[in-house]
Amino acid sequence: MTIKSFLSAVSLSVILILLCSPVPGIAADTPGVTDTEIRIGQWAALTGPAAAWGAVARGADVYFKMINDEGGINGRKIKHLVYDHQYNPAKTVAGVKEMVEGPGIFALVAGDCTACALAVRDYLVEKNIIWSSLGNAWSIKPDKHFFFIYPNYADEGSILAKYAVEQMGKKKVAILYQNDDYGKGGLAGVERQLKKKNMQLVAAVPVEAQDRDLKSHAMKLKAAEPDAVVLWVNPTTAVIIRKTAAAMKLEPTWFAPSTLGDPELMDQITGGLWEGTIFSMMAELPDSDSPLMNKYREAFKKFGPAGERFSLFTMAGIGFAEPLVEALKRCGREVTTERVIQEFDKMTDFKGIFGHLTFRPEDRQGQKEVYMVESLKGGKAKRLTDWLKVD
Amino acid sequence: MLGQVIMGGIAVGSAYALIALAMVIIYKTSEVLNFAQGDMAMLSTYFAFMLLSTYGLPFWLSLPVALVFSFAVGICCEFFFLRRAKNPTVLGLIIMTLSLEMILFGLASWKWGSEQKDLPFPITSYDTFSFGGFLVSKLEALTFITALVMMFMLFLFFRFSKAGIAVKATQLNRNAARLMGIRTNRILLGTWGLASVVGTVAALLIAPASTLDPYMMWDPMLKGFSAAVVGGMNSLPGAAVGGYLVGIVENVFGSYVSIEFKSVVAFALIVIILCVKPSGLLARHYIKKV
Repeated sequence: MTIKSFLSAVSLSVILILLCSPVPGIAADTPGVTDTEIRIGQWAALTGPAAAWGAVARGADVYFKMINDEGGINGRKIKHLVYDHQYNPAKTVAGVKEMVEGPGIFALVAGDCTACALAVRDYLVEKNIIWSSLGNAWSIKPDKHFFFIYPNYADEGSILAKYAVEQMGKKKVAILYQNDDYGKGGLAGVERQLKKKNMQLVAAVPVEAQDRDLKSHAMKLKAAEPDAVVLWVNPTTAVIIRKTAAAMKLEPTWFAPSTLGDPELMDQITGGLWEGTIFSMMAELPDSDSPLMNKYREAFKKFGPAGERFSLFTMAGIGFAEPLVEALKRCGREVTTERVIQEFDKMTDFKGIFGHLTFRPEDRQGQKEVYMVESLKGGKAKRLTDWLKVD
Repeated sequence: MLGQVIMGGIAVGSAYALIALAMVIIYKTSEVLNFAQGDMAMLSTYFAFMLLSTYGLPFWLSLPVALVFSFAVGICCEFFFLRRAKNPTVLGLIIMTLSLEMILFGLASWKWGSEQKDLPFPITSYDTFSFGGFLVSKLEALTFITALVMMFMLFLFFRFSKAGIAVKATQLNRNAARLMGIRTNRILLGTWGLASVVGTVAALLIAPASTLDPYMMWDPMLKGFSAAVVGGMNSLPGAAVGGYLVGIVENVFGSYVSIEFKSVVAFALIVIILCVKPSGLLARHYIKKV
């Protein structure tokens, strides 16, 4: 082989290698990302006992449609895939596998039900899927792919209990909690705060998500004579226990986390019994008139399901998607898993419609603050405090 | 406290008894375990909700219209679904009712959405009165009285009416009944319609104490099924006794033994009863018809 032919062969090889290698920004090797679209998945309880939370998926969908309408993210449109898991972990596993191994997704957004999240946690890590999560770092073991947006249930429970004891002077606190990781997270937070104050729960009553007869539960609560009862349950259970308790003349001050923080819905389905409930809130109230909220309300009118109201859960869906879209925007055309993770980890005090979000590689719990709200007559709400951080 | 717990058990047991009765009515005539019973009732309850909320009809008018609708639902399920099967096996029939359940569930979710709703009802579940020192909600009292009235009416129907006797004849021997001039297919239609009405009455009494959603009958339906098995699948009095027994046992168990296992105690009860009396508490031993 002459030097000339050797150089020609080397040059040809270099050209071929260059032609075959991925061009930065095309992200050909990243599942769920093409030149023109980014596929984002979501599991949601569109039906089942937690169907009220199905609005989270519809909110996220409206937000992505609004982003697409504005031109997408750096030339790519978002394709949003939603799987109805009916608040059932077995179905969550099937649905997530279907999305990942079927069309392929780049990231997941939101995703209700702690037990369901735990069921797919390891699979998401294995498949390198970024998760802009509704979950929290208390109940789900953190990983570099996970960004927990929703306040930690244990922290939220602790803040609620602190407010009940310090600001409202409650002496006998009880809790009705869903017998899974969601409920146990809240229970742990309430217990932690009471322990700091040398207090104990007067009753901690577990309930299964599907139970429809809660007389025994209400009797156990009543026997403890609480002046405050924290409800860490799904909306249907909250309605049943409030009706059952009212029938038994159990009338403490009721406290609830932000998962039950849609006063309009809760007022409607409890027949007005929700009035006076104190709940923590992780986002702006649905009737806020901030420019961002007005923009989202307009988008909901344009892209949302006809006849559906713009609820807290709709807002929550938008709030879980905001940081993911922000991280994608910061990536430019180079959308890879590692790059998006890097951009997430640079986020400091990012403010959408949730509280302030800060992510670091060593701390993926983005939001650590909530504020207190009182539910008023007719589904109205009154903000009681500024943002409160956990001790 | 025990008295209050038992009162609570009787109240919820009344609803279980109605669902159990509905299942037994169908099982006695067609030997079908109808797992769609709960969702047939749920669909009719949504229909009542639509009349009350969307069309603004008064309750006294919406109730009978909804019951007529539920009768039609039962007839349609039998005529368009079950009757189409050619010599189905028992397993095949069970799968068919499970499929029917899913279809009805999907239909309700599509038509009315899956977000929880509040069924407008003249009595709330939290209006109470004192009875013998116990707190009783007016809705629970209404459920109890309604269940007793329905049981009495069913007793009269099956004991004294010509149609009721024709149903019993069909249960005993369908071919012989047909030879005697009884239109057994119509009897089957009628029993599905009747069972649907009984189930709907239960659902209309359950919804005001919780929420109206497509999932609302899932738990009561399983408890009603347990009650029917405990009492005996081919015994109407057994279904009623089973309903009250399941309601009382799960409330006492939840209050005094373990609240965590309250919701599964009904199924433990099935195992215990069937070990002692395989055909259920009040049913005669099953003898295969030839």
